[in-house]
Amino acid sequence: MNKNTVISVENLSKMYHIGATSSRSLREAISTVFQRRQRIKEFWALDDVSFEINKGEAVGIIGHNGAGKSTLLKILSKITQPTGGSAILNGKVASLLEVGTGFHPELTGSENIYLNGSLLGMSRTDIKSQFDSIIDFSGVERFINTPVKHYSSGMYVRLAFSVAAHLNTEILLVDEVLAVGDAGFQKKCINKMDEVTKGGKTILFVSHNESAIRRLTSKAILLTQGKIAKIGSPQDVYEVYNDGLSMQSIKRYAQNDVVKSVKVYYDFNLKIEVDYKFQKENQLPHLGYIVSNRNGEKLFGGNPSLDNVKFAEYYRKEGKVIITVEQPLLRKGTYFVSIFFGNGSKDVFVDENCVSFNVEDSIDNLGFLRPTNNYEFL
Amino acid sequence: MEKTIISAERNNWFPNFKEIYRYRYLLVTLAWRDIQVKFAQTYVGLLWAFINPLVNLIILSFVFGKIAKIDTGEIPHEIFTITGLTAWTYFSTLLSDAGNSIVGSQAMIKKIYFPRLVIPLSKALVGLLDLGITILCLIIFMSIYEIYPGSNIIWLPVFILLIIISGLAGGILVSGLSVRYRDFSFVVPMLVRIGMFATPIAYSASLVPEKYKVLYYLNPMAGIVEGFRWSLLGQGPPDPLMIYSILLMLILFIFSLFFFSRIENKMADIL
Repeated sequence: MNKNTVISVENLSKMYHIGATSSRSLREAISTVFQRRQRIKEFWALDDVSFEINKGEAVGIIGHNGAGKSTLLKILSKITQPTGGSAILNGKVASLLEVGTGFHPELTGSENIYLNGSLLGMSRTDIKSQFDSIIDFSGVERFINTPVKHYSSGMYVRLAFSVAAHLNTEILLVDEVLAVGDAGFQKKCINKMDEVTKGGKTILFVSHNESAIRRLTSKAILLTQGKIAKIGSPQDVYEVYNDGLSMQSIKRYAQNDVVKSVKVYYDFNLKIEVDYKFQKENQLPHLGYIVSNRNGEKLFGGNPSLDNVKFAEYYRKEGKVIITVEQPLLRKGTYFVSIFFGNGSKDVFVDENCVSFNVEDSIDNLGFLRPTNNYEFL
Repeated sequence: MEKTIISAERNNWFPNFKEIYRYRYLLVTLAWRDIQVKFAQTYVGLLWAFINPLVNLIILSFVFGKIAKIDTGEIPHEIFTITGLTAWTYFSTLLSDAGNSIVGSQAMIKKIYFPRLVIPLSKALVGLLDLGITILCLIIFMSIYEIYPGSNIIWLPVFILLIIISGLAGGILVSGLSVRYRDFSFVVPMLVRIGMFATPIAYSASLVPEKYKVLYYLNPMAGIVEGFRWSLLGQGPPDPLMIYSILLMLILFIFSLFFFSRIENKMADIL
């Protein structure tokens, strides 16, 4: 462990018993004394994890649900104890595992700032000195003396994040808090986190937001079933992560084409990833797609203009465009993706039905879609 | 620079009071939250803290002064009962609030780290406000009967401290036990009801037959309630036997702290 290391984790493991209810009634406890213990399954949420993080690094933790990301943060923030291994953290630690924990609905916004701040380990003077900038950042100053039970959920989250964003600690552990709030506020949060790391603080954060991880972090850790699958630059780690997604297909193109490759992943969400290279600087990488079924019937599609996406001011000459289609509800079968790539004024690259992917399902439904159906019997 | 070491072996034998001191502001804030929440959205607000004990005083003085009559020496029966009840109410509220406090704060415990002992400890502060107001009302009420606290009143803080220790001893133990076994949330109200009769609140401990005295004073609140009354009214000093119950209480208090520290690290997993 050199002197720049802020977090050093060695062989950290955490085991939970599954099948055993954790809080039993006294009668059960007494009756099981006389029986052979029920067979309980062991579940290793975290299995022999080791890594080091240096001062000022922003590190992203990625992985599927249940991969152990939150467990790792819970151990590092001392909420739960590891079953094996150890970790050393140099510096004051603050953790934000859920936005707004400890907020009391009956209390006003400003009362909750004090309550939440002190729960997160801030002293009264810390909170006082940050009070105005917390309110300012949250943008709820008009309602600061109103009980938070009357807040909209957006206001609630904004106020809660603002308190956490003003914590003055050397190490910050953050769990998927960027998933909340509207786009404008999310941008504000990402900027704030960027500012925090530039100020020499160390951030370890869990997120499913790929662009946030790519933008904020210099290093990423991929967890798979409690083990570290890959540590490295976000670029490298996402490559491994995406390769691990199911139903991948890929098509590569010739060197002189604008589009270098098209990759498709299907894992409840559909993800289309295109690598491109323009001849000139700052052209709009305008990617559109259409998904069709076996019979050539067009099912759905989109492009940034149709979806009213706000374009950025600058684009790289060479880069990557990722389209994520959230839960397209496809039924079992094979599907084809068509690509329309342009610079905003015209399509310069069109390849219809260039890649295909399969959707596996235990049920073969009717029609085109496989929505989630809920039944009630009254 | 602060350094945190996390390992599977980390297991405190006793609460880390240095850390709790660092979180003292949280302790006060949690107590203040409970008080604020109690009076939230009420029209008269904190005034309720005065109205409640006053109404109690009036009703009790009527019941025990005019209807039920038990020999309580020179002190009017209603004053006698009310002083005892004041001490008992603070104790029993602290015991049940602290006992339920950990299960009641599970959302926080699962998401934020702080010394867990702060939660039951903060309940002692919450009740202290009510106790202070009640004692104030009580002293005014006593002056109507021309009874004034004498020099014994310097002992009052000692007896209040003893009530806090007793309430916390039970409360901390129950809060830790109920993390695993919620049965204890049913046991405590039962014990409080029984305890109320085994404590000299509406009657004087001098009525207890001599041969049961030792057994009687095993109830720590017996001596403490007598002491509380004695320091306010200046009459009827507590029985020397109370030393045993205080010692017993201190042992239970230390055991509770010890037990709580053992279970503290596992709380987030079990709750």
